[in-house]
Amino acid sequence: MPAVLTVDPRSGVPIYMQIVEQVKRSVALGVLVGGEQLPTVKQLALDLTVNPNTVARAYRELERDQIIDTAVGRGSFVRGNGAATSSSAAAGDVVSRALAQAVREAKSVGLQPEQIRSLFEAALTRWFRENA
Amino acid sequence: MSISIEHLTKRYGRFTAVDDVSIEVPDGSVFGLLGPNGAGKTTTFKCMLGLAAPTSGTTLFDGAPLTRAAFQRIAYVAERSALYEWMSGREHLEMQRKTFARFDAKRAAELMELFSLDPRKRVRRLSKGMRTALSVVLAFAIDPDILILDEPTSGLDPLNQRAVLKLIIDAAASGKTVVFSSHQIGQVERTADHIAVLKAGKVALSGAVDDLKAGAKIVEGVFPADAVALNGVATDARVSRVEQTGRIVRLTVSGGSDELAQKLSAMGAQGVRIVDLNLEDIFLNAVDPLHQSVDVVERA
Repeated sequence: MPAVLTVDPRSGVPIYMQIVEQVKRSVALGVLVGGEQLPTVKQLALDLTVNPNTVARAYRELERDQIIDTAVGRGSFVRGNGAATSSSAAAGDVVSRALAQAVREAKSVGLQPEQIRSLFEAALTRWFRENA
Repeated sequence: MSISIEHLTKRYGRFTAVDDVSIEVPDGSVFGLLGPNGAGKTTTFKCMLGLAAPTSGTTLFDGAPLTRAAFQRIAYVAERSALYEWMSGREHLEMQRKTFARFDAKRAAELMELFSLDPRKRVRRLSKGMRTALSVVLAFAIDPDILILDEPTSGLDPLNQRAVLKLIIDAAASGKTVVFSSHQIGQVERTADHIAVLKAGKVALSGAVDDLKAGAKIVEGVFPADAVALNGVATDARVSRVEQTGRIVRLTVSGGSDELAQKLSAMGAQGVRIVDLNLEDIFLNAVDPLHQSVDVVERA
């Protein structure tokens, strides 16, 4: 599992947010499945060479977003008996974020909602035509 | 242990090395002290430890002044090696064992191994990096609750630098409090959860690294015409710099980036975007606000 995570400390994105994003992404992609154990805070901090309080904060955020559960003394686990439920929730999260980013870009160059909608429809159609 | 530095001032004759510095180091945190050369980092460390007498101000450890008992639980790595040239690594460890009740011989041996240090070698025969490594070994071998590390990676190769960072992380994960300085901002960005930037003896900036990063942004927009009245944003307390290059306006902000981006849009800017800043950008803004100045518009 630690092999899946990498952080870029020089990025302007806080490290705890990078960890949260990557765990969510791994869950969405099924790389992490329900019931799987995450490394301890100390272990992940040492693996990534980042501050342990930063890792602890990432785990707290993941708990709050109901991606993982932490049992005192036992460790942190990916939530869900059925891996599918938590996975689709996390997938929705990742995709919403990417879409929000695209909408922001479109808005910033002065496009109106209808124009953005038709661009999205066109992209969707094109992608499925070319990749189906 | 938490550490509170309260209104610390240190003057050497007419020169004020540290000027009314107040810093809170939370228990169990890794605190990075940054600043250009001569900003007062080393003097601050010395005053904290009572190695230099402050002109005024105090440092409290868990709310109390430093006592002999508390000193036993504090490890210090000095910027300039505090080692004796004629003594070997083993003799230094022996001295440490006699001075510090919690000295851990097994741990000391492991750490000497980690840095491939030969305990028989006299300090005079050690490279700068190996001297730093020996100082780090001496510090971590006394099982301290507080580590005060002045440039603990200086002169070390990347592998040994990483080893020192992992020791700091391991200590913090075990609930110890670490204060360290480094010229390598990337190291501080990784390992510290709180920072303070000193500039000419004063605190130019301090806070939790994640909060500083989350707040500090550049908000940029392109206006239809050259002359734009920026009164609405230039006076905002969160805007630390306004740059105007032709039709492009860039605001350096410490918070409220979404709101300020909307303001720019409302003022007619197109292509408004928000750019993340890393710790190096934040540091440079704090110590040299004009470092990338392009037609800087003075704040009102």
